[in-house]
Amino acid sequence: PFSLLVVAGSGGHTTEILRLLSCLSESYSPRHYVLADSDKMSEAKIRSFEQKRAETFSESQFSLDRIPRSREVRQSWISSVLTTLHSILYSLPLTYKRKPDLILCNGPGTCVPVCLSAFLLGLLRIKRTIIVYVESICRVETLSLSGKILYYFSDYFIVQWPDLKKKYPKSVYLGRIV
Amino acid sequence: FRFKDSLAADLQSADLVISHAGAGSCLETLEKGKPLIVVINDKLMDNHQLELAKQLHRDGYVLYCNCSTLVETLQSMDLSALKPFPPGQPEKFASFLDKVFGLQ
Repeated sequence: PFSLLVVAGSGGHTTEILRLLSCLSESYSPRHYVLADSDKMSEAKIRSFEQKRAETFSESQFSLDRIPRSREVRQSWISSVLTTLHSILYSLPLTYKRKPDLILCNGPGTCVPVCLSAFLLGLLRIKRTIIVYVESICRVETLSLSGKILYYFSDYFIVQWPDLKKKYPKSVYLGRIV
Repeated sequence: FRFKDSLAADLQSADLVISHAGAGSCLETLEKGKPLIVVINDKLMDNHQLELAKQLHRDGYVLYCNCSTLVETLQSMDLSALKPFPPGQPEKFASFLDKVFGLQ
């Protein structure tokens, strides 16, 4: 089995990422969810998803952790760098503790510190984690800010529309997967 | 209606849905097979909301307009011209990951 760290951003991001997880086999367990501390609704969605999953799969282990939000919508560039660095102080020990085989994220600011932490742990030869980034279905022609950053740090960068595949040739295009 | 947990029941009983361009709203509506008119608010809109609405319109799944043209759109709309929306395929993602991890 491969342990999985799932970054759950607020609102639509969580719904999308749970859809991505919907067809995964039992081999992807345990699932460690990471949420932003200010996110109220994602926890309920995740628990509901895991509860349903437990009806089918006997081996259903998951955990939930929270880290400070890296960036508010439309926050300025400079302050975003500072708040992201602050989030890394939390995401680094968390990623170190969980040492996931796979990190899955789909665009919220929360994923940047988490993926950078995993990348760093990889460089330091502490744990080699495969980072899979799936750009949100909302992104048809342009990448999100997280996407633009993680295009260079992820192992697999998945886009859901052909225009993006053309613009970002190193990406993977599987069509609409949510 | 403020932050109801789910609009699924309301969506199911509707004949026509008029919505903002949020991805969740659009996709949930299209997946229920309901005709959808997306209203773009030029003042509030995040650029990226517009991308999805435009693409869905280009592909023939939704009608789209802005606040001032809504009435006109409602008067002249042809809902039968809208195409059915095929569901997304998360199984392709699962399959992809299985290959990455050598499970296939």
